[in-house]
Amino acid sequence: MPPMLDDPNGEFAAVVRRAGVTIPDDRWEAMREAYHSMQALLKVLDDPLAYEDEPAVLPRYDLGVK
Amino acid sequence: MSSAPLPTLAEAGRRIAAGDLSPVALTEAALARAAALNPKLDAFIEITADRARAAAKRAEREIAGGRRLGPLHGIPYGLKDIYDAAGLRTTAHSRLLLDNVAAADAETTARLEAAGMILVGKLATHEFATGGPAFDLPFPPARNPWNTAHFTGGSSSGSGAAVAAGIVSLAMGSDTGGSIRLPAAYCGTVGLKPTYGRVSRRGVAPLCYSLDTTGPLTWTVEDAALALQALAGHDSLDPGSADVPVPDYRAALRDGIKGLRVGYASRFNQDGEVGPEQTAALDQTAQALAKLGAEVIEIALPSNTQFQACARAISHSESFAIHAQDLRTRPELYARVTRERLMLGGFLTATQYVQAQRLRRILTRKVDALFETVDVLLTAVIPGPAPVLEETDDGPWRRQQPLASVFNVTGHPAMAQPCGFAANGLPLSAQFVGRAFDEATVLRVGHAYEQTVVWVNKRPALARQSQ
Repeated sequence: MPPMLDDPNGEFAAVVRRAGVTIPDDRWEAMREAYHSMQALLKVLDDPLAYEDEPAVLPRYDLGVK
Repeated sequence: MSSAPLPTLAEAGRRIAAGDLSPVALTEAALARAAALNPKLDAFIEITADRARAAAKRAEREIAGGRRLGPLHGIPYGLKDIYDAAGLRTTAHSRLLLDNVAAADAETTARLEAAGMILVGKLATHEFATGGPAFDLPFPPARNPWNTAHFTGGSSSGSGAAVAAGIVSLAMGSDTGGSIRLPAAYCGTVGLKPTYGRVSRRGVAPLCYSLDTTGPLTWTVEDAALALQALAGHDSLDPGSADVPVPDYRAALRDGIKGLRVGYASRFNQDGEVGPEQTAALDQTAQALAKLGAEVIEIALPSNTQFQACARAISHSESFAIHAQDLRTRPELYARVTRERLMLGGFLTATQYVQAQRLRRILTRKVDALFETVDVLLTAVIPGPAPVLEETDDGPWRRQQPLASVFNVTGHPAMAQPCGFAANGLPLSAQFVGRAFDEATVLRVGHAYEQTVVWVNKRPALARQSQ
């Protein structure tokens, strides 16, 4: 793992740069915490899925219609 | 007209048809209530008095001339200020769109105008239908008519406030993660999120293409049925619109619910951190439905964490894509809370977005499977009564994720409606959910339940004391 990713703040700096947005110094810590809270929630998306589990893209209109 | 809250759509329609109520008088009453109450509620960004008066006179002439267009003709309504109305500004409550004058009506606006309704104004929203109540915007946040120190819910904040205060009997909202149902719940109104694709989104500022829905906030379930009748239908120019037949929603209300199977997701209350007052109100709602002849069956929804991960990954990714250019070049024009919540979408990966869409399909199938054994679901939509406005979470990451977004993920129709009051006098709310495109059953259950309760006649004190 690159050294930068060992440092939570370094990881956040990288994703901010990639997004191309600017965060004021006084909001940096709040945004960094928000980023990590979001990543913690999204951890469930790492659970393995079957090959046939395709994306929804949009809800299928025929499913569940009585 | 008296200074009472405006009559329901159904009552106003009946009285106009009978010649007992004039569209001009009704519109003047709405404008007078807006003028009296808006300084306390900040529900409206713009009150369109001249346009409304002209439309009311036109409606009166048409009806007197035997050209009544239907049950909504001559009745005032309001639009969340993300809906286009030709010649009026659509600001989305944002500095970025202060000079944005709509060239044409949104499809939904056009349908309500074609039904003869009278637009009285554009309503407050959370900026771009996201973020939260903010005090660093050109317009103040709306206030809850039940207690103006409390949050309206959002993002259709002005819509909830205006309907609860009886200024209008129909206000349009939009719902990407609960933005119709949450203000309906906190303000004690009915709020219907139709099935994804049932009502056009064309001409409504987007937040998240694959989750956005448009729909009505009303005082009664019957009014929600009347509004949906006018709004529903295929729009070939909306890429998300579905070409599915539209039934007679009002006729379905007469069927009662004897023998209907209601799936009560009581365990979801714990999963969603629902408080004791709201839980007790939902239990009582389930008991009331059983007394009406429904069979109430305990069901289990998939884990809330899975729904929230889906909703968050999809909505943040798509909304960042929509706003990326402005967030990079003129971020200072957004409210802080909007800017920060939108920016989070830039920190997601493409893999997370795709995985969320894969999980979404699985979750939708699981909820569809529940409808093999029940006809409608009963769930929580809010954890408890509205919080104090100044104490509302305004951080970039919401500490408590909205329960309502479950059915944005799956696309099913879902309706919030009052189911009691907390000890502090603020409304509590139940959510009924139906099969895809089966809004009729949702409305049928909600209407039957509404006939058994007394609070449909209970308005906020502020609404009773106006003028």
